[in-house]
Amino acid sequence: MAFVKQKAVRFDGEDRRERSRDCVDLASELEDANPTSRRWAARDLIDCPNAARALVSRLKREEEVPVREVILTTLIRLDDASALGGLVECLRSEDAALRNEVIEAMKLLPGEVAPIMQSLLADLDPDVRIFAVNILESLRHADVESWLIQVIEKDPEVNVCAAAVDLLSEVASAKALQPLVRLKSRFSEEPYIQFAAELALQRIRGV
Amino acid sequence: MPLNPPSPAAGLTISSEDFLKFKEYFYRRTGISFDSSKRYFVDKRLIERIEATGNASFRSYFTMLRFQASGEELQYLTNLMTVNETYFLREDYQFKCLVDSILPEVVEQKKKGDSLKIWCIPSSSGEEPYSVAMFLLEHWPGINDWDVEIISSDIDTKILAAARAGRYSARSVQHVPARWLTKYFRKIGEEYQLSSDLRDAVEFTRVNLAESADTRPYRNFDVIFCRNLLIYFDDVSRKMAAETFYEALRPGGFVCLGHSESMSRISSLYKVRKFPDAIVYQKSLEAR
Repeated sequence: MAFVKQKAVRFDGEDRRERSRDCVDLASELEDANPTSRRWAARDLIDCPNAARALVSRLKREEEVPVREVILTTLIRLDDASALGGLVECLRSEDAALRNEVIEAMKLLPGEVAPIMQSLLADLDPDVRIFAVNILESLRHADVESWLIQVIEKDPEVNVCAAAVDLLSEVASAKALQPLVRLKSRFSEEPYIQFAAELALQRIRGV
Repeated sequence: MPLNPPSPAAGLTISSEDFLKFKEYFYRRTGISFDSSKRYFVDKRLIERIEATGNASFRSYFTMLRFQASGEELQYLTNLMTVNETYFLREDYQFKCLVDSILPEVVEQKKKGDSLKIWCIPSSSGEEPYSVAMFLLEHWPGINDWDVEIISSDIDTKILAAARAGRYSARSVQHVPARWLTKYFRKIGEEYQLSSDLRDAVEFTRVNLAESADTRPYRNFDVIFCRNLLIYFDDVSRKMAAETFYEALRPGGFVCLGHSESMSRISSLYKVRKFPDAIVYQKSLEAR
């Protein structure tokens, strides 16, 4: 046996696929029984304007993790309001795995997520507000600390504030000192808030 | 692309807006992202090309770059902007992992007459794929039983030509054992010429990992080496690369990354495999 070269395999980049790559056909291929076809359709839909709706619709029902991952990457790359709106819709899903995948995807969209962060943090559903704080965890944006301070100053829900104060203990500056003190007063009966806020205060003060 | 006479762009500088505009465009076309710490590196090469192509400003050069039908200048610039520093047997613990742990699992899934496929990307000047070939010949008894296909790809056409030529500096071969050096190389002046047998063992191809059309024909690989490339990509391009490799691998195939890179931080598509010599990433055997 030896080293071989399969000359039958051509690497010239020419498109020889059997199925149409027309946008309408690609959208219907998202429903194909074969997950490989669904992955390729999701991938090729990057060139189709208005693909977000079909992708989000499939994402909500898709059970194969690899297909979900490709759909999410395409939604990130589409970088339009409809794709972002679809991701936000999925934050309300009952499927915890999907919610986590969407949170990870939204962390990669700092420029797009920033304008809607205020509305996410003001959402009526406290779970969505917690997910918004989770997104802030590694969102590369200059306003992360300000948003977190806003949460601990105003959010009435203890679990939302707990998520925010956890993160603040990693990223906060002296700006957060007084808000953290006020948070302790606001939730004086909540041992976890007392502990987490004190930890954050100590870290800021360098104790 | 030929150089034009006297530079009309002497004293040229690249503004921050120009840098951003170029950075975004280059990222879209290649997946390679430059942060501001690379500003000097990028500016220097841009100015070099603006002058060499006879353009008077960044603006006119950028227009040419974007709309040139042949894409020749974009390829030339890509060659300039990519880093091609490597040497034989770099991170050789992964080659040990390949022969001691990965290939024994791979061949368990094969039947008589099948071949093994290995993809090295980026190829750079060929040290990695040729190291794989040498390592298999020297340390893997299975080479007597199985056909092996090694394909090595890079976005840089000039470096691919150098890889095919197989001529290396003393620095490049410094970690090659003396016996291998005698066996596989011939010294010509200060350089080392790789034997034609080994050069024939590797197929070199031009691939832009960010282009689906380029990567689509790459299927059914058993092992992919992609070391020290993803560190130049941003998060989204890394995810795209992970998905490209997923499509290129057979079920049960393996991806080997550089020592500072982790697939777990990029994608959930792969299972982490901790072997005695290295941590690598595997596509599920049940993957469809």
